[in-house]
Amino acid sequence: MQHIIKYEPTFSMLQVNLAPGETLIAEAGSMVARSANLQMEVKLNSGKNAGFFGKMKTFFIALIRKIVGGETFFVNHFSSPQGGWLWLAPSLSGGIKPITFQGNGMIFSAGAYLASIGDIDLKMRWGGFRALLAKEGAFFVEASGNGQVFITSYGAIEEIYCNGSYIVDNGHIVGFEPQLNFNIKSGGGGLLGFLASGEGIVCEFQGQGRILIQTRNTSALVDWLTPMLPP
Amino acid sequence: MQVNLLYQPAQAIAQCWLQPGESVVAESGAMVGMSTNVQMQTQSGGLMKGLKRLFGGESFFRNTFTANGGQGEVLFATPLCGDMAVLEAGQRQWCIQNSAFVASSPYVDVKTKTGGIKGMFSGAGLFVLETSGQGQVIIGTFGALEPVQVDGSMVIDTGHLAAWESTLQYKVGKSGSGWIASFLSGEGLVCHFQGQGTVYLQSRNAAEYGATIGAMLPARRQ
Repeated sequence: MQHIIKYEPTFSMLQVNLAPGETLIAEAGSMVARSANLQMEVKLNSGKNAGFFGKMKTFFIALIRKIVGGETFFVNHFSSPQGGWLWLAPSLSGGIKPITFQGNGMIFSAGAYLASIGDIDLKMRWGGFRALLAKEGAFFVEASGNGQVFITSYGAIEEIYCNGSYIVDNGHIVGFEPQLNFNIKSGGGGLLGFLASGEGIVCEFQGQGRILIQTRNTSALVDWLTPMLPP
Repeated sequence: MQVNLLYQPAQAIAQCWLQPGESVVAESGAMVGMSTNVQMQTQSGGLMKGLKRLFGGESFFRNTFTANGGQGEVLFATPLCGDMAVLEAGQRQWCIQNSAFVASSPYVDVKTKTGGIKGMFSGAGLFVLETSGQGQVIIGTFGALEPVQVDGSMVIDTGHLAAWESTLQYKVGKSGSGWIASFLSGEGLVCHFQGQGTVYLQSRNAAEYGATIGAMLPARRQ
């Protein structure tokens, strides 16, 4: 597989050339264009070795997410015996970043996943109450295996190495390595800081590993937009 | 008419230089600025033509800008952030997705071509404008513009289509093998192209952007 990312960081688009027989998995709705010989198959994304119960669980998560307004967890598989090319784009203005996996794993916030290729296993993970408060959605996506994952964000994507500890504002997390501990806390400054600093809740990471953040925040956009809409 | 495109690709604006007496026809609301010797006239080009445009998702009226007594300048832009391109009509003619049309030289005839029943159901409102005659057409899109050479066949999401050469055959249809699969795939309807020619893709889909942000906004009070 070869790929090109164009029009970074605002209107990024990903072009992928698939070798014969190679399969690219992409988030539902992300295809812009493809060569006509590429076959598209829609599948429920429930991990490679998921049994019946694993599939049921993913199905219910997909259903819940559809109802609460997140995206569903359907993916499209693109492949062809002759190979082919395709263009993918996220729906919001932002960047695309390729991440290579060599047996390691990474956790992404919901909506960060755009596409993957190779032997990558994707699992939905319940993020817990902290993830909801961190405005990252109730579920995380855990990717592991060997291959490449393309992630997307609202705004540009910046990689930070967490050496000991690091704080990220809620709503800005794109992904982090699984060995990092992640907790939510107040941004500091006591009660006034919590209520009036505009920083409210922040996420504190502990350990050694990579964190990916996005330079913009969708909930900040929504908060800014809402009071301006007509009743 | 001489056209300069500035601030590409995210915030493009078209700067048009008109010779004395020369005109340019633009979509209503596209004008950003103009020199004072440029006169604006609003026309529908006839009731039926206007209605057809209205039906095609465009505005009923179009504006004609004419430079009087000297050279004139007019600036045009689109409502959303994105790129613009100047297409030459003449030897090659173009089909343009209705919302991508910004302005054209008066010697280019831009007609609404109803995409038939399928066009109406495409969701992206795939109403197509077709050019004939000779001159320049300015298009503006949401996101970056990518020209792609079709040689044989190709499939494009209707929401990402900006313009294509009218020599290309196209058919709006489902993306997957069945209707349920197409619905779940989130790709909705796609355009199947056949033949040889250039297609301009826009890197963002305005309807999808709206749906994504819209879902996060609080419900409107009734």
